[in-house]
Amino acid sequence: MTRKKLTYLIFLLPIPVIVASLFVGPAGNSSFISFFRWFFMADETINSEMLTNILLQVRMPRILLVFITGGILAVSGAALQAIFRNPLVDPYVLGLSSGAAFGAALGLWLAVIPVQLSAFVFALAAVGLSYYMARKNKQISIVSLILAGIITNGIFTALLTIIQIMSDPFKLQSIVHWTMGNFHNANWDRLQMAILPMLAGLVILFVMRWKLNVIALGDEEAASAGLNPGRLKLWILTGATLAGSAAVAVSGIIGLYGLIVPHVVRMIFGVDNQRTLIINFLVGGTFLTLIDNISRTLAGFEIPIGVFTMLIGAPFFIWLLKKSNVGWEH
Amino acid sequence: MTQNKAVEIKNLSFGYHHHSIISNVNVDFYRNQFTVILGRNGSGKSTLLRLMAGLLPHCQGEIKINAVSIQKSFNAVKEAKIGFLAQKHKAVFPFTVEEVVLTGRAAFINWLPGKEDRKITLDSLERIGIMHLKNRIYTELSGGEQQLVMIARLLAGQPEILLLDEPISHLDYNNQIHFIHLIKELIKEGLTIIAILHDPNLAFLAGDRFVFIHNQMVQSYEGHEPWTAPLVKEIFHDNLTFIPHGDKVVFIPSLQ
Amino acid sequence: MESSGRSKSYPFIFLAILLPVIGLFTTGCTSKNKPASSEASITVTDFRGKEIALAKPANRVICLIESALSGIYMLNAQEYVVGVPSDVYRGSVAKRYASLDNRLANGLLPSPGNWDFISIEQIIALHPDLVILWASQTEAIANIERFDIPVYAVMIHSIEDVYKEMADFGTLLNRRVRADSLVSFTRNNLKQISNQKKEKEAVRGYFMWAQGINHTSGKNSTVNQLFEFAGIENVVDSEMEHLTVNIEKVLEWNPDIIIMWQNDKLMPEDVISHPILKNTKAAQLKQVYMLPGVFDCDLWTLKMQHAVKLVSNWAYGESFNQEEELEKLMEVLY
Repeated sequence: MTRKKLTYLIFLLPIPVIVASLFVGPAGNSSFISFFRWFFMADETINSEMLTNILLQVRMPRILLVFITGGILAVSGAALQAIFRNPLVDPYVLGLSSGAAFGAALGLWLAVIPVQLSAFVFALAAVGLSYYMARKNKQISIVSLILAGIITNGIFTALLTIIQIMSDPFKLQSIVHWTMGNFHNANWDRLQMAILPMLAGLVILFVMRWKLNVIALGDEEAASAGLNPGRLKLWILTGATLAGSAAVAVSGIIGLYGLIVPHVVRMIFGVDNQRTLIINFLVGGTFLTLIDNISRTLAGFEIPIGVFTMLIGAPFFIWLLKKSNVGWEH
Repeated sequence: MTQNKAVEIKNLSFGYHHHSIISNVNVDFYRNQFTVILGRNGSGKSTLLRLMAGLLPHCQGEIKINAVSIQKSFNAVKEAKIGFLAQKHKAVFPFTVEEVVLTGRAAFINWLPGKEDRKITLDSLERIGIMHLKNRIYTELSGGEQQLVMIARLLAGQPEILLLDEPISHLDYNNQIHFIHLIKELIKEGLTIIAILHDPNLAFLAGDRFVFIHNQMVQSYEGHEPWTAPLVKEIFHDNLTFIPHGDKVVFIPSLQ
Repeated sequence: MESSGRSKSYPFIFLAILLPVIGLFTTGCTSKNKPASSEASITVTDFRGKEIALAKPANRVICLIESALSGIYMLNAQEYVVGVPSDVYRGSVAKRYASLDNRLANGLLPSPGNWDFISIEQIIALHPDLVILWASQTEAIANIERFDIPVYAVMIHSIEDVYKEMADFGTLLNRRVRADSLVSFTRNNLKQISNQKKEKEAVRGYFMWAQGINHTSGKNSTVNQLFEFAGIENVVDSEMEHLTVNIEKVLEWNPDIIIMWQNDKLMPEDVISHPILKNTKAAQLKQVYMLPGVFDCDLWTLKMQHAVKLVSNWAYGESFNQEEELEKLMEVLY
């Protein structure tokens, strides 16, 4: 298949995937067949209230949340890889995930602040801390930023451990589940809560997407081409952090995803961020929706989606690395 | 005479943390000339070039480009029509040549490149004669080809003055000569080029004007006799053998 | 390269579609809360302090707490249960539930989750008229209540909480008489056990959870109550329900008896010969015991009285037939 045809496919795929996912779920009486019989054949035996509840109130918000979260992870992963000029970077590199996990644990433990709000605030705070630590002489170097991210991760993981030790096994289990991804409590309120920072972050990244190409060549190259690399990086970090924090706050930590999708997209569609950022969003969203379908239906009980992305992602990634020349120089 | 000066530098000083790198520099660069800056490592050549490109903020002295004094945060590409080529360039992402050259338009692009930007990109590829590399992956090119792409990227910004920091240091001898020919071509097309070179012979054969930087002293020479300058031996080596070559002179080290 | 010129417009078209679609959904599709049924004849207040009102006794109950489910079985109200925690199909309690209920033996009762993980759509699909959940599961509770399904939230800190839970289940499931008789049986039984010890000096005990030798419970816990009823003083002076302590502390406390929760990895003999714990009085006197079976001794149910009886007898060395006692109790409870 040519790249062009594949692009069309990527643009068309989300709609059928989302619609099909509506009819996937553990509740057998909400399959496509029951919907069809109710909608087109006016089958009286179908409980229409339950059917619409499950389709529109349970599955729809979850599918949209999963889709947007997958898209955000891929887009912010691609954007951060570009500004860090480092293929090993994912949206969690600056401590976003550990900050969010700590915030969520604090919320679960204290049970006074909403878990999502707490996760969001601490995710932002963690990235802010990394940025502050890395800033020296009004300059931000890539290495010091990544180092600061590691330090921040350490700090928040330590704080998280304190909470885990002080929690009873019930809450401990909730915290562990939360950190592995937590779409099972998705609803419209939650989507509504997160959608504003998510879209704000995405819009920033989308309008900046060509400039990612310039900054990806290097700070010096960007500066000599007449851009302010520091300001540009701050904007992109802000966009990625805003969207990423909102996503992680409502969905938990979905490991490896923001690392892998940009790589896959780059291998198939090239590195031009102007074209590929939107493709990242669509591929990221579509795939996470498909993975979540497995997570929703495979076992009698739910397996957190983070477990799947890790277990599917890791071997797939290793296979890709071995199979193809990714194009990284060093 | 002033209108012939592309860059005028007056009493310029620069340093980091009380450590002076260049101090009180006065030097002029002339339009439509190939000026070569020569000096030892660490003499401040790159710093001078960067100050002119607006990549470093100068605190003391004045830099005038096209008779206009430049301020702290000026857009060198847009306001002064300057193109700067950094010494080292390390690409990570496998961009195509066209995508790389297009980034040279960044100063003129608000959000996304338009048709005009893409046309200028293709024009600069044509101008350097590397249209055939358009869809190749930049990171897979040879060093010589990469340097040509970077020049095309500079030209995409439609500059009048090119500042090149050691543009040929990483090229093989053949490519060095090709590159010098390219510079001469661009001079013919009306550009002003200021470059740092390390090979004095190549510099003296190709350059129109020479600026020596040594021990915080800056001297400029024009025409045919820069090699008689006392600074030559001081900068390069004190045991050199001079050999006449046409109306110029080349020199080789005496290794005995 | 002609595609690059066109691709410029993609994101804007995309965003232009995405924004209103999401806006539409997020504002238009939130669930409408119906007013609570006015002809409610059954009301109880759950552990959150929320009033649960039902028009008629619940007959489609999803109970996602294993200990609460065992309470429902004690009330002989299992016929109303339509959803169970997945725990009852797994682990050590599975066999016991299989013997209690044919539906569980054959895997016929769906399990739409566990105490920590809940599938909302499975719950809705089961069309319950009552869901029983831990009160700490605030998100899941809110999510279920969006669909006008009443949720009874449970939080057990003491045997009094178990009494209240049983009484409320009795009301909600039309088994109030049975609930009251089981509660008063338990009260009497516990009173009887704790009265026996008055004249002797209290034994000092340390409780060990299965998570590790330093996982224990403080004053504000059902473990502490277990000890109190059995006439044992808990060596842990913290107020916390569950905590991990430094092993040095255990040596310093030097308990007379160590009671272990059901544990696959560690046996009482292991504790007695444990390089550190062997120095405690309990180990030297071989006063280390493990409660048999999570199901039989569940401290969050009326079965706590069995645990109390065991611990009391271990501590004060009275002879008794464990099997027989348990059989007698199970006869009463189930």
